[in-house]
Amino acid sequence: MKFGLFYEISVPRPWGRETEKTVYDNCLEQVALADSLGFDSVWAVEHHFLEEYSHCSAPELFLTACAMKTKKMRVGHGIVVCVPEFNHPIKIAERTAVLDILSGGRLDVGTGRSATWTELAGFRASPDETKKTWDEFVHCLPKMWTQERFSYQGRSWSMPQRTIVPKPYQKPHPPLWVAVTSPGTEIDAAERGMGSLGLTFGGFAEQEEKVKRYRKIIRNCTPVGEVVNEAVSTVNFLYCHEDDAEGIKVGRRLTGTFNYLAAQLLAAREAYPSKSYPSLGLLPSLRQEASGPGDAAGAPEGIAMGNPARIVREMKKWEAVGVDRVNFLLNALETVPQQKVLDSLRLFAKEVMPHFQGASDSASAAAGGR
Amino acid sequence: MPPRFGKLDLAAWAKSVPTIKGYKTEPWLLKGAKILTINMEIDDDPADFLLPATMHPSIPEYAIFCVTNYPDSPVGAFSIGEVRISGRTGVRPRGFVLRSFCDNEDARRELAARWGYPTVAGDVKIELRHDRVVALVGAGGKRVLECELLDRDMISGGDIQYIASMHLARNEDDGKLVLVQVDPDFTFSKAERGKPRIILLDNDAFGAGDHLRLANPISATFTTADVTLPKIRYICNPELPAMQGTTKVAA
Repeated sequence: MKFGLFYEISVPRPWGRETEKTVYDNCLEQVALADSLGFDSVWAVEHHFLEEYSHCSAPELFLTACAMKTKKMRVGHGIVVCVPEFNHPIKIAERTAVLDILSGGRLDVGTGRSATWTELAGFRASPDETKKTWDEFVHCLPKMWTQERFSYQGRSWSMPQRTIVPKPYQKPHPPLWVAVTSPGTEIDAAERGMGSLGLTFGGFAEQEEKVKRYRKIIRNCTPVGEVVNEAVSTVNFLYCHEDDAEGIKVGRRLTGTFNYLAAQLLAAREAYPSKSYPSLGLLPSLRQEASGPGDAAGAPEGIAMGNPARIVREMKKWEAVGVDRVNFLLNALETVPQQKVLDSLRLFAKEVMPHFQGASDSASAAAGGR
Repeated sequence: MPPRFGKLDLAAWAKSVPTIKGYKTEPWLLKGAKILTINMEIDDDPADFLLPATMHPSIPEYAIFCVTNYPDSPVGAFSIGEVRISGRTGVRPRGFVLRSFCDNEDARRELAARWGYPTVAGDVKIELRHDRVVALVGAGGKRVLECELLDRDMISGGDIQYIASMHLARNEDDGKLVLVQVDPDFTFSKAERGKPRIILLDNDAFGAGDHLRLANPISATFTTADVTLPKIRYICNPELPAMQGTTKVAA
C-alpha cells in the first residue's frame, strides 16, 4: 500500500494578486514535506474554468515545480484530457516526455476526458465524442513515445510521418492510467492494460467487485503500451489529528467544502443528455461518500479523517479490497490552515504509514525527526 | 461556501407571485406528456439577478425553456410554457421558474394553488415536423417565446436528467413568501435530442428584463413521458441560503 497526494488546487474568492500564488506556494510546501516523509506520489488534475474549485489548468508546470522540489516522489500528470480541443496528442506526447526527463523518470500519465459542460463547452468539444477520442489518444501515445518515426491517420486526428522528440526517460515509457468515474471504465482500463485511477468510492463492497473485475480482465488484456500497468489507485481526503473528534471535525469541514464547490459546477450529463456520460462523474459520488452521516463519531466510511488509529483502520479496509495506492486531497478553499495541513501529513507519516507494507520504510523516522 | 448567491429583488418580484394553499397537495399523474426543453447558456453576472438569495448560480448559468403539453389531467388537457434559471439549492441542481404561461384556466388555478406555479394566461402550442419540434407561446395576442429543436435524433430516456423546479409563492396561511421545491417524476417512453434554437424571446413577458442574455446554445430535447407532479417535500425561505432556510414538509 502506497500513499500519495492529489491536487485540484482550489482557490477561494476574493482573488487578490497574491491569492493564487499563496495557494500554489502552499501546495509546493506540502509536496516538499510529503517527499521527505515518504509519500509515494503527487498527482495534479487538469481542469479549466472551474472557478474556486480547481485552478489547476496547467498541471504539467505545477508538476515540473514539484519534480524540482522532490527527490523520490513520482509525479502524476492526471488526468490529461484526451480531447483534441483541449490537447493535441502530439503536444501531450512531447510535454510528458519532457516532464519525465526533468523528473528523472518519475512520471505517471493519467488519461481521461472531462466530465463537465463547463469545460467541454469552453473548448467547444462535443460530449458525444470524448470517449472515442480518449480511446484513440491512448492507443497513439505509447507509439509516439517509443517509435522513432510516427505517422497516423485516424478518426479524430492525423499526422504525416515525423520524429516526435524528446522521448521519455523511462523505458519503454511512463506508466499509463485511466481515470475511473463512470461505471465500467475500470473495464476499459483493464482491457487496455492501464492502471485504474479510481476517483469514486461507492462503498467497500462495490469497490472490491470493481477491483476483482479489473484484475481478472487485465490478465487477458491487449495493452495499448509496451508494458502493462496493473495497479489500482483511489482518491481520498486526509486530515489526521491526535484528537479524534478534532480530526473528524476539521476533516468534515474539508470534505464539505470540496463537495459544496463541486456541486456548483455543471456536469455534462445535466445539461447535455448523452450516452457518453451515463453518470455525473467524480463530483456527486465523492460528495455522497464524504457527506453521509458517518459512524457514531461522525466519520464517513472509508475517509481518512480522525486520529491515526481510526485512519489506519479505514486504510486497512482499502488495502483489503485490493487497492494499491490512496491519493489524498489535503485542502479546499484553504479551509484548513497550512500549518494544520503540514502537521496532519507529519502525523500520518509517523503513526499511519508504518502499518502498511510498501509505504516508505523511512516514513516514521523522517516524521519523528522533524 | 461559495460567495456567489442569487440577487433577485424579492420585494419587486413578490408583487406577481401566486398564493399557495398549504403544502398538502396530492400528486397528479399526467400521462403522455410531450415536453420540449431547450437549454441555453446565459451571461452569468446579469442572470444572478434572476435567482433568489437561497440559490447559487450554476457554473456556468443557463436558462431552461420548457414547453409541455399534457393531453390529460384532472382538469382536462393543458399546455404550459415557462423559463427557468439554473442554480443550486445547497448542492442540489434546481431551476428557478420565472413565469409560466398556461392555456387552461382551471389548470392555471390548480397549479398555482397546489405547487406555486407562477402561471399567467397564455396560448401554448407544440408543433411536430419531420426535421424539428417547434414551440410557440403567446399572451394577449403577442408572441412571447418561439423556440425549436432542430435535427431530431432518438436517444435513450435514461440519458435525460430534468432538474427540479423552485417556485416563489406566498403561503396563504401566514402570508409569507416561500420557495417551493417541485421535483416531478418522469417515466419516459420516447426521447429525442437535437440542436437548440431560440427564435423569439420577450424578456419582459417572463419578468427577466435586461437580466436574461442568451449566450451559448447547449441542447434541446423532446420527450414523451408520464409525469407525476409530486407531493411537496421541501420549502425554502427565499431570503436565506438553502443550507439554513430549508424546511421539510413531507416525507
